[in-house]
Amino acid sequence: MSISRRYALSLFAAVPVLAACGVGGSSSGSGGGKTVRIAYQNFADSTLLVKDRQTLEKALPDHTVKWTAFDSGASINTAFLGGSIDLAVIGSSPTAAGLCPPLSIPYQVIELLNVIGDSEALVVRKATGITKITELVGRKVAAPFSSTAHYSLLAALELAGVDAGQVTLVDLEPQNIQAAWQRGDIDAAYVWTPVLSVLQQDGVTLTDSAKLAAEGKPTLTFTVAGRDFAAANPDVIEAWLAATDDALKLIGTDPGTVAAAVSRQIGISTDDALSQLKQNIYLDHAEQRGPDYFGTPDQPGELAERLHDTAQFLRQQKKVDQVPDLATIRAALRVPGAGGA
Amino acid sequence: MVKRALLVRVIAVAVLLAAWWLVALATIWPPAILPGPGQVWHQLLSTSDAANGQAGYAGSTLVERLGVSLRRVGYGCAYGILIGVVLGLAMGLLPVVRAITEPAVTFLRALPPLAYLSLLVIWFGIDEEPKVYLLMVAAFPPVAVATAAAVGGVNRQYVEAAQALGAGRFEVIRAVILPASAPEIITGVRLAVGIAYSSVVAAETVNGADGIGGMVLNAQRYNQTAVVILGLFVIGITGLVIDSVIVAAQRALSPWRGRV
Repeated sequence: MSISRRYALSLFAAVPVLAACGVGGSSSGSGGGKTVRIAYQNFADSTLLVKDRQTLEKALPDHTVKWTAFDSGASINTAFLGGSIDLAVIGSSPTAAGLCPPLSIPYQVIELLNVIGDSEALVVRKATGITKITELVGRKVAAPFSSTAHYSLLAALELAGVDAGQVTLVDLEPQNIQAAWQRGDIDAAYVWTPVLSVLQQDGVTLTDSAKLAAEGKPTLTFTVAGRDFAAANPDVIEAWLAATDDALKLIGTDPGTVAAAVSRQIGISTDDALSQLKQNIYLDHAEQRGPDYFGTPDQPGELAERLHDTAQFLRQQKKVDQVPDLATIRAALRVPGAGGA
Repeated sequence: MVKRALLVRVIAVAVLLAAWWLVALATIWPPAILPGPGQVWHQLLSTSDAANGQAGYAGSTLVERLGVSLRRVGYGCAYGILIGVVLGLAMGLLPVVRAITEPAVTFLRALPPLAYLSLLVIWFGIDEEPKVYLLMVAAFPPVAVATAAAVGGVNRQYVEAAQALGAGRFEVIRAVILPASAPEIITGVRLAVGIAYSSVVAAETVNGADGIGGMVLNAQRYNQTAVVILGLFVIGITGLVIDSVIVAAQRALSPWRGRV
């Protein structure tokens, strides 16, 4: 019996050994010195310019900056929960999900990277003859579920007075939307570029995220930072904000340079990068402090309401257990550039 | 003896559950990363309840989802086994067929289902076809390989005896070769069903939100880890049940064989 007990205990001893075993590739080990772990996404954006120019690395010479590409906000949320990420580029829909219980991820929205414009749109096949959203009743409409496009699709249906239950919603990734569209399996789709531009060749655009933003249902891309990390490393946050603010301004003044950086980073042509950049709306930090967005610390803007709306929507979809009150969401917003800098 | 083996198994499962519960209780990780058995149990009740406001989970109850997934696996395996047995017979009986098809079968065996799913979607769309075909492609190679090996290994004397008694070519296959190879073929079927069932999550990545794999994928997107774990348990446990049914069928069909 004592042998078997010892044997059983040795299993527990094996846990750290297992954890120490290599898995190939580079894991986020302690490389000595301070590390900033950034989750980014591969779409045309100011953050790719910061990455391409190594602005952050230059501003923080005593830090190791580690960039990791993610495909979706959901996986970024998982990484945050696991404590593997300090800063992340993430959409408003997963951010709202992250702020709601049961996730309740302790992160703060520190900046608005873009307002999604006509890079995401609702397109219907020309052959159907549909020209209005209300005519989508009974049709098959695809969107990648849990994405900003999914949120926008349901918001568009709601604004048009169409009950989402009357439309057959199909969960498909963008590349599969393209395949299904070409075969005629779906009638419409809410999706983003580059698949969107393919669909638009034989489709009619019913609405896009820029129009929805004007009607009070914007979808946004944020930078979020771990709360403890932001408190302990204000220098890193300020360096990041300064770098991205410059990049956001540069998109307005010299989009060609940003497009060149984007094309180097994600391997698309400069022309494609330029047209993708132009499909979103960018606001520098001064504009973000306006009443429609962050506001000022004394006069909070409407961004908290927008995130609250998104959270309500997730609650309706039964994707979160409950929606935190507005004050909790306000506390999760950190006005960019308000702390000096 | 049997009773004791059963007791050991029950204890093993209980110990694992207790360990899981303790680790979850220690909250080394937040519940969104490692939910406890209680949360998973709660999800089992909630997803089985058609009146909980979202008709189970995202529009279908757990049982409905299991039914949909089992139907897909059933069709995929039925076609896969049919193709596998026919092809395996041809491979075992005709060296030419074997030489031609063996590389292709081995090639298909090496491919991960997710890799060829994209192709099936382009060819067959987003409805039931690509899912069933994916499971079929995943299921048939083990059956074909097992059947070919079994047919090649049938004792020549049985065949010659049947021929001496005047049996024709098809009668030899029906009355001698197939029964003699049945145990190996069923072992192939057992492997095939296992592979097909473990591919169901891959098959349901494209418009398969009504299946059990679709539930796992959907829950993963929203970090609903308890639902993910529930889905894995349901797939694992039903897989075990299906496997024991096949083993029982094997014993019934070839009682002359020793225990497998």
